[in-house]
Amino acid sequence: MHQIDCPWCGVRDETEFQYQGDATVIRPAPDASEETFFKYVYVRDNPKGWHTEWWHHLGGCRQWVKVVRHTVSHEIHATGRAQDKLPVPDEGPKS
Amino acid sequence: MVERAPDFVAVTPLGDFEPFTRGAGDGVGVNLSVQPARAMVQLFARNGKADDVAKNLKLEARPGQATICKNFVTFPLSSGQWLLVSNADDPEKFAPAIEKKISGIGYISEQSDARICIRVSGLKARDLMSRGCRLDLHESVISKGFCAQTQMAQVGVLIHQVDDAPIYDLYVYAGFAKPFWQWLIDISSQFGISAENKGE
Ligand SMILES: [Zn+2]
Repeated sequence: MHQIDCPWCGVRDETEFQYQGDATVIRPAPDASEETFFKYVYVRDNPKGWHTEWWHHLGGCRQWVKVVRHTVSHEIHATGRAQDKLPVPDEGPKS
Repeated sequence: MVERAPDFVAVTPLGDFEPFTRGAGDGVGVNLSVQPARAMVQLFARNGKADDVAKNLKLEARPGQATICKNFVTFPLSSGQWLLVSNADDPEKFAPAIEKKISGIGYISEQSDARICIRVSGLKARDLMSRGCRLDLHESVISKGFCAQTQMAQVGVLIHQVDDAPIYDLYVYAGFAKPFWQWLIDISSQFGISAENKGE
């Protein structure tokens, strides 16, 4: 069970949030190729390690929260607002 | 002959239950009271104008704290967003009055009848809340005036601690009111319940 520190609401239980995937993908230019758009919509990495991702705080403030989480240990390194740039650690989790 | 449309009757989702008292071992531990319908608006600040809106209406912009204003109570819902609940008797005047005060810096959405309010009080009120609410409501952590949006029984709820007795007001969306009410009754039954209906 995660506890996620929402920048607006404070620390809340995972059940209030909905996972929304990779927060690092950027929409291609409108004239980009079909293949580029296909990758943008459907293709995601599945990293073993730190992952910057969206969690939608549906049961609270309804804002999108950016979270840096380790996909093996589930440690949460940082959370922030959508526009925040969050630091991603070089190495594995502390524990 | 033109057929006449049926006359519609305004009802609240919890309008049709009879008040009851059902004691448990130690008598009645929890009082549940459906509150009268109130005019409500949701208020949004335009980009970068949250502070101006808060100043114009003299409201708290930070999360977690309700503001008691002259004729209404305000709950911060999110950054630059509030729910305003009127205490006045002229519901149709509420939204236009608020709109006038934030003209150009914010906008409103009329929300009357969108949520119903259930007041939870009694000796076991906090025990009852701890059954379904994942927030820490202990008296050492929060007090009178606290408010937060969260979920209870998977239903979105706005919690307002009205008094340190404690008394809580739970604002629930009308469409979820009935199952939520049923759930409240179920988990309250071990404490003994008195349920009253002030809705109309
Ligand atoms: Zn939040």
